[in-house]
Amino acid sequence: MAAWLVRRLAASIAIVWAVVTLTFIVVHLAHGSPCGQPDGLPVSPAICADLTRRFGLDKPISTQYYKYLGALLHGDLGWSFALRRPVAAALAEALPNTFTLALTSLILDFALGIALGVYQAARERRFGDIALGNVALFVNSMPTFWLGLVLLLVFGQRLGWFPVGGLRDLVLCPRVNSLPCVADFAWHLTLPALTLGLVGAAATARYQRAAMLEVVRQDFVRTARAKGLRERRVLLVHALRNALLPLITLFGLTFPFLLTGAVLVEWVFAWPGMGRLAVTAILERDYPIVTAAALVASVMVVLGNLLADALYGVADPRIRVRST
Amino acid sequence: MPTTRPSSRLPAVAALAALLVIAGCARKGGCTGDYCGTLVIAGAGEPDILLPPVTSFSPSRDVIEQVFLKLADLGPSGNTIGDEDFQPQLAERWEWDTPTTLVFHLDPRAHWQDGRAVTAADVAFTYDIYTDSLVNSPVRPTLRQIAAVTTRDSLTVVFRFRQRYPEMFYDAVYHMRIMPSHLLREVPRSQWRTAAFGRAPVGDGPYRFVAWRAGESLELAADSTFFLGRPHLRRLIWRFTPDQQIAVTQLIAGDADAVEVLITPDNRDRARADTQLAIYPYKGVAYGYLWFNFAAPGDTTQPHPLFGDRELRRALAMTVDRGGLLRNVFGDMAKVPPGPMSQIFSIWDPETRELPHDSARAARTLTRLGWTDSDGDGIRDRDGHPLAFRLLVPTTSAPRRQYARLLQEQFRAMGVDVQLDEVDFSVFNERAHAGRFDAMLNTVNTDPTPSSGVPQSWTRAGFGGLNYGRYENPAFERLVDRAVTSVAGRDEAKRTWRAAIEILNQDAPAIFLFATENAAAVHRRVADVRIRPDSWLALVRTWRIPADRLTDRDRVER
Repeated sequence: MAAWLVRRLAASIAIVWAVVTLTFIVVHLAHGSPCGQPDGLPVSPAICADLTRRFGLDKPISTQYYKYLGALLHGDLGWSFALRRPVAAALAEALPNTFTLALTSLILDFALGIALGVYQAARERRFGDIALGNVALFVNSMPTFWLGLVLLLVFGQRLGWFPVGGLRDLVLCPRVNSLPCVADFAWHLTLPALTLGLVGAAATARYQRAAMLEVVRQDFVRTARAKGLRERRVLLVHALRNALLPLITLFGLTFPFLLTGAVLVEWVFAWPGMGRLAVTAILERDYPIVTAAALVASVMVVLGNLLADALYGVADPRIRVRST
Repeated sequence: MPTTRPSSRLPAVAALAALLVIAGCARKGGCTGDYCGTLVIAGAGEPDILLPPVTSFSPSRDVIEQVFLKLADLGPSGNTIGDEDFQPQLAERWEWDTPTTLVFHLDPRAHWQDGRAVTAADVAFTYDIYTDSLVNSPVRPTLRQIAAVTTRDSLTVVFRFRQRYPEMFYDAVYHMRIMPSHLLREVPRSQWRTAAFGRAPVGDGPYRFVAWRAGESLELAADSTFFLGRPHLRRLIWRFTPDQQIAVTQLIAGDADAVEVLITPDNRDRARADTQLAIYPYKGVAYGYLWFNFAAPGDTTQPHPLFGDRELRRALAMTVDRGGLLRNVFGDMAKVPPGPMSQIFSIWDPETRELPHDSARAARTLTRLGWTDSDGDGIRDRDGHPLAFRLLVPTTSAPRRQYARLLQEQFRAMGVDVQLDEVDFSVFNERAHAGRFDAMLNTVNTDPTPSSGVPQSWTRAGFGGLNYGRYENPAFERLVDRAVTSVAGRDEAKRTWRAAIEILNQDAPAIFLFATENAAAVHRRVADVRIRPDSWLALVRTWRIPADRLTDRDRVER
């Protein structure tokens, strides 16, 4: 097990390094300069030249790369040109917001997806199954930003049930430090989390239905029924645990997907997370932020996969990881 | 078939209801009277830094305006010539010792928000910072006529100018916001662009800094001891949105109280339909134009193969129906400018002579120049070369992209092939700087006066700087120089400017397409809303919410 873990960790570090290197090269080779003002107005060439010199962008890309790697090994992600502050500080403020959104969406995605999948499998080819299957397909085929816009316009702007953006009520709850403010935060979180979670849940439900149908036809389920167990117990206790196995892989991949998928949702709902930070940084050629965002995303994907592998072993005792 | 009993849903429904009730419950506050309001301003863009000498970014300026004062500021007339229309801020009065020596007397009541008095040393320090090449302030070039700033005593500061000219006072006061020397003296000049002070400033203005939540919001609180009068609005909160469309949506949904610009007629109609909102039109500071490159793309030593020809440029300019384009893109929220100017310039004069929209004349000119459609493909050509050019457009600007398509169609009807290079703003900026374009759609935000912007963009002084098109005409430059330096009076300056602009218009170095007309939207409970076109929040300390219009959110104590 330890050897396996070491091998996986080494491979993970190599993947992260490759992603960071590729991002660094691509973003530096892209046309454009980091001198532009975000409002689209021209910047004096003298000031642009000054910025370029100060941030070392006039040096060869190889020099910049080695300097960047050296700093990264010391935990220094560099300075943001546009935000004029350390990249780590900017990420530290944005990441928790994105994690909160992604985690809530993940819970919604799997809770709803598994429940629907089980329900559909229990009613295979009956009206409920067919209707829910079609609805799930419809929702799953929607782009998240479009669904977000629809939810925002209907439930935010037209009906006024939810806020149309932001993290909190800036007047009443500048800090989330009381029960009403926690509720306010949850209220603001609802639409963006629903946007991400619903699309995910539709896909999860389809996976779960297929997995359940495969499991309920197996001998041990037939045996359970023959023993006279109630159908609910057969499905939820015996079949479900075995049918969760494929979902564990999906779970490991979904969290990083939600992190990156949150980009458009964060934009639509003015959610101050990492996705919005990264998009703005790309538009402004803020190389350190772009590279750091790629670093975080790749770490998340690698960790998600590691977690999935670990959970696989926990969920299915038949799977044993060989250490050789 | 299993069923779910209604009672099993109850906890979930009850929890959701409780959540909504709690979220909906505002904490009832106790603030009453004339100083309780809170204004939430939604807007695209977040300040880069709150340190006036090192930023010219408009979201930063809006906040900085409330935290740091100038010596004096523009009055309601917007007149930048002489000193009679300026209003005191840190300086309670001023006088001219000689025609080139200006003496300011600071208001003894002025103080920094940490309690220290504002002194003449702060003013001298500020001038030193703004003109330091290491700090490299964006406004440094505008201070070049000021030879020195010295202190006479703790409340008296002396400005000495290199020469006499009409906008001496404007240059002395408009560009610099006074900085606290006791807090900033130790910051190395090369590190001003990233100074920590810029994220938590201590100022001398009507509002003090409270909090800046990156990507989300920025909050200021009124300084109840502000020496020029306590601001009526107790709190100003900026809510950052990814784009202006989302800002307008937040305004209409009631999540914000004000936006600076509605930009499109569609947004204005949305805001008008909301009875809670009042719309305040004001003159815009921006103008946009199609800029011809006089040099070969990427090689400033060679003339452009097409646009070096004055007659060709004039024909292209006469091809464009600027009024029709403007109505299509902006409706009535912009005007066709009579030259390189925004609507706030005092030299704006609709009578200024321009090239007319005359497609028949344009076609005759092109034919006379040898540009005819010899092969019947709809595109004019000469010596085997089609009449074609590429138009550089930033993808970040929806109006400019719309303009580009409409221009493409109008030129096509004249037999001119225009291909669009739509690129993101950083690429647009880089190619503009390097001169790698045939023509570009540019927008400029102007100062209140043409004296700085016009020479930078349209004379040889701007070569290597902001004159990306490399237009030059000695006759135009002589007139501009005379208009900027002449002390003969405001009317004479205006006449000279008009003569200069008419020369430029006849040369057609660009096609001036639009000058924006802005419209801010503010919640109706806010009274005494006055907007100064060059800076929409400059007068916000005088806005107020009458006691009978206060909402719970205005009253809430935190």
